[in-house]
Formats: sequence, structure tokens, C-alpha cells
Amino acid sequence: MPTNLLLNISVKYWQDFQDTLANVMDANIYIFDVNGGSFSQFSLPVELCREVNKGRVLRDEKCISFYKSALGSLEDKDMLTCPYGIKLCAYRLGSYAQKIGFLIITPTRLITQVGREEENIFVTKAHSIYQTINEVLKAILERNLLGLRRLELNSIYEISRLMTSVVELDKVLDLIANSLIIIYKVDLCFVGLREGDKIRIAQAKGEHSHLLTGTEWPLIQPLIEQIFSKVEPLSLSLEELRTLPGLTDLEVTPGTEIIVYPLWSALGAVGLLGIVAPVSQDDSGSKNLQIYANFAAVALANATFIRRLEREAETDFLTGFFNKRSLRNMLFTELERTMRYGTPLSIVFVDIDNFKAYNDTYGHVAGDVVLQKASEIIKNSIRNVDIAGRYGGEEFVIILPGTEKEGAAKVAERIRKSIEIYPFPYRQVTASLGIALAKNNDSVDSLLERADQALYQAKSQGKNRFYLDPS
Amino acid sequence: MSGFKKERIEHYETLLREIWIASAKYLGMVSVNLLLERVVWEVSLEYKEIELLQYDQNGISCTRIAASLEENPDLPVEDMFMKFITRYVAILAKLLGHERAEEIKTKLKEEATGISFSTREEG
Repeated sequence: MPTNLLLNISVKYWQDFQDTLANVMDANIYIFDVNGGSFSQFSLPVELCREVNKGRVLRDEKCISFYKSALGSLEDKDMLTCPYGIKLCAYRLGSYAQKIGFLIITPTRLITQVGREEENIFVTKAHSIYQTINEVLKAILERNLLGLRRLELNSIYEISRLMTSVVELDKVLDLIANSLIIIYKVDLCFVGLREGDKIRIAQAKGEHSHLLTGTEWPLIQPLIEQIFSKVEPLSLSLEELRTLPGLTDLEVTPGTEIIVYPLWSALGAVGLLGIVAPVSQDDSGSKNLQIYANFAAVALANATFIRRLEREAETDFLTGFFNKRSLRNMLFTELERTMRYGTPLSIVFVDIDNFKAYNDTYGHVAGDVVLQKASEIIKNSIRNVDIAGRYGGEEFVIILPGTEKEGAAKVAERIRKSIEIYPFPYRQVTASLGIALAKNNDSVDSLLERADQALYQAKSQGKNRFYLDPS
Repeated sequence: MSGFKKERIEHYETLLREIWIASAKYLGMVSVNLLLERVVWEVSLEYKEIELLQYDQNGISCTRIAASLEENPDLPVEDMFMKFITRYVAILAKLLGHERAEEIKTKLKEEATGISFSTREEG
């Protein structure tokens, strides 16, 4: 968490408090932030400086350079004499773990002109002021830090609730990245999913995120192996991160911290979560981030598992094509689109000729090879927007959106010819195809029925040909 | 003076509603509420009154901030809202990418001529 954020208080209210203290204690107070910049103003009119500077600017270059040098080397406290001979007490504010800034206390009169006893009284007074201000600032820091932790916990509660109930993978990925950027203000956040023997970056947000989205890293890549060699997060240098494929041009702001969390579930590695954060987290912040990572792992494991089940439910295991149920659903959607926009839609019914005899003669394994090769040929003969599926047995259906009968006939002939010339094992294999163009009043069943009738015509005319539904 | 400040609060309320609608479209309600909670907390370290900002899934309202002017007429309305919007847009830019954040900024500028927004946080 940036120091300046935790010290984020109303300067006006602070100045009022500081001025009141200065008046009561009859001493001038000035505070620098941890970088040596001004945090507050002198509490009292700086008559002393004006006298010393003989009417020149109150803080000239000589003064600024003096403060920078003196505060840079200040341990805890020191009695200093400014270039114009004014004695002042300087203190470091905060603790070793949490540095806040520097406090300067000056007398309202020149100490060089008064006795030793008055100097001792001033030092005692300055120390009391230091203790008061330090305690107040520490209390403000604590309060601000507590506010941040409360915010963190609230969001962890909300996010954990959602991440374990939302099952859409995209939404889960979005939630993880969004909440990390919002709560921790990370510069960059990326989530990689394990897909077989590689990690694919499925979500990246923040600076330079475009370099990461979609990149793939093999699990045997040395850095990836190192990340998954343990449960704890790994802190990386930019040079180490750049060893990953696609990240050679990645830039991060100097001083930022790069942490990669391996995401584990009971079933093994789910993926990884990477953040590029502007400053290091304290112990509580690190633990909260680990909680985030744990929830992210569970949520991603759930979502990927459900997505796999959904895909399996709509996919034919042997060919990888859509199955009958999902094919009918997609045909319904395409028919609706056709009715609404008046665009053409054709479907092609494909049936492998004499498949039963092939299967009975050469066995089921050989039959499966024919189905797999035929599906490959179909896939390579259609556009990306076309949809192909296994309708059952040796039957395939191809949906051709935006395609008239003539275009569908060309596709059908291409498939027929490719199957005919393909060197299937044992003997030549051919296919018959039936084509139908969607009409305005068509339903899924009526359209499929006409395509099936066309296929029947192709078979009855001698097989290894296509037939266009004439209606 | 209080009347003028109330007008300014109404003006900022319109702006915040625009931001809320635009960001909810891209981020969804959960992330937008989290973002609002984060920025309210951050600005509240300096201006407690921002905690009076009301927001939920139906929208955003500054009614209670306007009412607080009765007790605190010196509230620096401009500074408080500008800090709020600047910090909100800075995080939004990280979430949506600078391109989309620029689109939102342009839209906001049309609503609030003369106000400068930055998608980068002030140092």
C-alpha cells in the first residue's frame, strides 16, 4: 500500500491541529513527508527566518539543500543548526517498519542569543511535541490501515461468495482480475489456466495486458516448473518474467513487485495468478492475497470442470463434432436468424454408403477410423461459420448459414469427392448427401426431414452422389 | 453560497450517474460496487462527507451530501468530487484499458465542460 495513501488525511485539519500545538508549546513546527517533500507548512509566522534571511525568501536554495542533506542522513533525532545559524530539533516520524516523514521543531527566538538552560528547556519541549505528533500520526496510519483491511475483508467475503457460486468461466476470470485491480490497485493482473501440458493466459488486465492475453507457456518451461514446484507464491524479477514466451518486451514500473501464485485445487494444478503491484504487501496484505488466490483456484476449478461437462454434453466423443442435441439447438437458432433477417440457410445430410457392411467386415475399430476421417474431411471442406455435427451412426449434418442451394451443392460435391478419393483402409468408401434450403415456415424437424428425403433420393439413385431437395 | 454548492453537487451527481452507467455496462454491478466502495474509502480519508454518497444496484445519489451542507457549509465540494472522479477513472482505466476509459472520459467531458480528467493518478 502506498505510504502516501495511508497518510492520506485532510491537510487543512492537520494544519489546524499542528498550529494549535505550536501556539500552545510556543515553538514552530514543520513536517516533511518521507521523500523530503512538504507535508505541512510552518505553524507560526517565520519571523526568525525572516530576521536571519534579512527579508529574503523564507526558504531559499541553501535551506532546501540543507534539509535534504540533513534529513537524508537522520537516524532517529538530532539537534541541527541551519545555514543561517538557527538551532532546530529534527526527528524521524513513524517506525522502522512504517516510515512516515520528518518533523522539524524550531524555537520562536534565536537560541544562540539565550542561555544553556533555555536551550535545554527547548529540547525537552521539542521532544514532547515529537511524541505527541508521532503518536497522532501513527494512530491515523493505524486507522487508515484498518479501513483498508475492512475493505479488503468485505470484498474477499463478497468475491468468495460469488466466485464459488458463479460457474461461468469468463465471469469468474473477470471477477478475479477486477477485484485485484480495485482492492490492491495492481498495475497488471493475469490469470492462466492449465490446459493439458501448457498454461494459457485466459485473462489479463492492466498495463501491457495485451502482451499476455492468449499467450501459452509449456508446463516444462523452467520458470513455470519452478512456480508449480511449491504451494507458496513466487516473487520474480522482471528479467525472470521476461523469460516466458511472448513477454520479452514487457515493461513494468521500476520498484514494482511481481508475484505469481500457483493455483492448486484438490485435483491438482488449475492455473496461475500473476500480479504486478506498485509496493510490497505487509504480512496481513500477503495473507489476504493468498486467500484471494485460494478462492480463485476453487472458483476456476469449479468453472473449468462445469465448462468441460457442458462441452462433453454437447460433443460427440468419437469425432469431436457437435452431437445431435446441440446440433438441433444450433439449427433452431440459425433458423430464427434466417426468418428474422431473410438470409438463406442450407443444410446438408451426409451418410457414409454401406457403412454397416464395412463395420461388420472389418470391425468396429476400422469403422471408427472411417467416421473420424470422414469428419476430418467435412471439417476441412467447410467455413469457420458453418456448423457440422454427428447426427447419429454414420450420419452427419452440416448447417451452412447464408448459403443458397448452389453454394451448398458445391460444398456437398467437395465433401463427396474428398471422401471418394481418400485412401481409407481395406477398401474405397463413398458418401451420399442430401441438400435442403430453409423455407420461411420451416421448423427444425421439417427442414431435417426434407434434407433426409433428399439423401434418400441420392441413395436410391445409386449412392456416391448428392441430391438437391426440389421444393 | 450554499445554494451554489448544492447546484454543483447536483451537477456532480449527474456526472457520477453517467460514470456509473458507463462502467456498469462494461464491468457488471459487483465490480462497480466494489470500485465505488474502494474510492469512497480512499477519498473519505480526507473528506469524511464522501461516505454519505449512496449507491446500490439502482443507481447513485448525492442527496445526503447535499443535506450535510446545512451543518458544514465550508465543505470543499469541488475538490472532494474531483478527487473522487479522478481516482475512480484512474482505476477504471486499468480495468477497461485506456482506450475504453478515454471513451468514457470523452462522454463525461461533454457533460462537464471545463473539467479536466486524468486516467493517470496524480503522484
